[in-house]
Amino acid sequence: MSATYRTYLLRKVAGLLVTVLLITSLNFFIFQVLPGDPTRILLPRGGGSPTDVINTTRLRDQLVHEWGLDRPVYERFGIYLWNLLHGNWGTTITYKAGNDVWAVILPSLANTLVLTGVGTVVAIYMGIKLGLFAGWRRGKRADETVVLSSLLLYSMPTFWLAIALIFIFAVYLPLLPVGGSVTPIVHDTLDVWGKLADRGIHLVLPLAAFILNEHAIFTLIMRNSLIEELSEDYMTTARAKGLSERQQLRRHAVPNARLPVSTLVALYIGWILSGAIVIEVVFGLNGVGNLTYEAVVNRDYPLLSAIFLVGTLGVIVANAILDVLYSYLDPRVTEA
Amino acid sequence: MGVGFGRIQELFAGERYAAARKRGVEVVRILLRRPMGAIGLATILFFIGMALLAPLLAGPFPTYFPPANIGPPNLPPSSAFPLGTDPSGKNNFALLVYGARVSLIIGFAASGFAMVLGTTIGVAAGYYGRFVDRALSWITNFFLVIPWLPFVLVIASVLGRGFWTTVLAIAIVSWPTTARVVRAKVLSLRTLGYVQRARAIGASDGHIMTRHVLPVLGPLIFANTILTVSNSIFTESFLAFFGLGDTSQPSWGQMIENSWYNLDVLRGAWWAFLPPGICITALVLAFTMVSHVLEEILNPRLRKR
Repeated sequence: MSATYRTYLLRKVAGLLVTVLLITSLNFFIFQVLPGDPTRILLPRGGGSPTDVINTTRLRDQLVHEWGLDRPVYERFGIYLWNLLHGNWGTTITYKAGNDVWAVILPSLANTLVLTGVGTVVAIYMGIKLGLFAGWRRGKRADETVVLSSLLLYSMPTFWLAIALIFIFAVYLPLLPVGGSVTPIVHDTLDVWGKLADRGIHLVLPLAAFILNEHAIFTLIMRNSLIEELSEDYMTTARAKGLSERQQLRRHAVPNARLPVSTLVALYIGWILSGAIVIEVVFGLNGVGNLTYEAVVNRDYPLLSAIFLVGTLGVIVANAILDVLYSYLDPRVTEA
Repeated sequence: MGVGFGRIQELFAGERYAAARKRGVEVVRILLRRPMGAIGLATILFFIGMALLAPLLAGPFPTYFPPANIGPPNLPPSSAFPLGTDPSGKNNFALLVYGARVSLIIGFAASGFAMVLGTTIGVAAGYYGRFVDRALSWITNFFLVIPWLPFVLVIASVLGRGFWTTVLAIAIVSWPTTARVVRAKVLSLRTLGYVQRARAIGASDGHIMTRHVLPVLGPLIFANTILTVSNSIFTESFLAFFGLGDTSQPSWGQMIENSWYNLDVLRGAWWAFLPPGICITALVLAFTMVSHVLEEILNPRLRKR
């Protein structure tokens, strides 16, 4: 590891820490806009005892003091950071009320990771292949078809595409389940493989919706990137040397054209997560996306805030890791 | 300010207007020559026409007081209600036609804000360079990597739903792309002879930015704004689907949400949820296609081989 590389890594880590701090403060201050304070929810109209109003006021004041709500905002921000560092991320207030937010978020995290993980890998693979296919045939019918269909799929709101797929493949042609992670009741009677198959079949439509919607951006980027590479002088040399089309592509154009795609993957992680959220909602899968929806609908602000923090931090850390990996693939980046 | 000065200003304004119009006509001509551009432009004009002529096409906006454009709930398509009625008996076709207004107005308003914010930050970052650039670029990248949907949902649920909330939430997530593109362009402009000459003869930063940098950026910002319009319409539909849209003006996204809640999918009532989605897709696609063609016109590197 060279000295420049070490300073590069150090700078990355420092940048990451500052970003994390910025995210947490953003998360804290956005929710400061909300009117009232948590005691209003806990003590609706006098804490359950309409006759004993004075006592309630005292109870409320006591709670406000105990929770530090009477302190200045910067002190409360400090308390918030302290709590975050100690794993105390908040308590749900309306959705499955009274639980630690992590107890609600953790079980759903695995489902989301399966959907986004499998979906993203397939989407990127498909995007790269289709992009190469189209870019190499620039201006021809095949290229136009790929570009147009990608633009079309890219323009469809994810939730509507999912609803349309349910209508076609689960209602009009009743081939696949309409939603849910498993078949109710039947699922418990199945053996291990049956259970796995049951889960798999429930993931077909969500994955299809996810991949159809998300691959398009990678297709378009790969195509444009390849076309830019094809106009470079070294490609003329490659052609002049008499290399076959396959060799021109595989040895010269593709490795260079792939670089911008790998940087953009990092940039689109947040985008991908957004797509997964709606797909979970439409298909009723128990994941972080559905949880976000419940938090929004039930106005469960602590839960919403925690999900936002988990999601954003996840995306930012993944981003930093990909950046470092990318610098490993293309050493020119560290020089900048 | 005397009469003379006003007259001169008028003359100059006229000249600049004529030049801009000539350039605009030129761009539209190239746009129309490409099938994608022509189809995109025609689609946009179609929806603008639909929004303007809504009362003629679909009658009054469906309301209860006084009752207008209302029928029994959940009707299938008929001659009176071409797309049936929604769970509250409102004419789906009328909702669809009036929905064009919401999508277009929110699309343009949000991308207008995003354009101003993005351009300001992009120009400042690219022009001042050094520390300012590093700080602003860092902020831009920060907003770029945040997952947009949770961010928009958080903003909208904290501010409470409404027209301006929707516009603001969309603008906040859309400006970074504009800022990045503008910054890159300004960085290359700054080194050009005429900008350096202006600085050498003592022009102020403000003068250089408004007179020498911004006019050159015009076409780029224009192409980018069109792309932002499509993104804004797309984002609005997501907000509406999560029940955080502006309820006073039902949009296409809200129609899909209503239909989804009403379990129309399971009943096979495709007329309630397919048309609004097709409209969103068509309008988003149209703006994307136009900006795609504009980008190819402006970036010759994508044209040649």
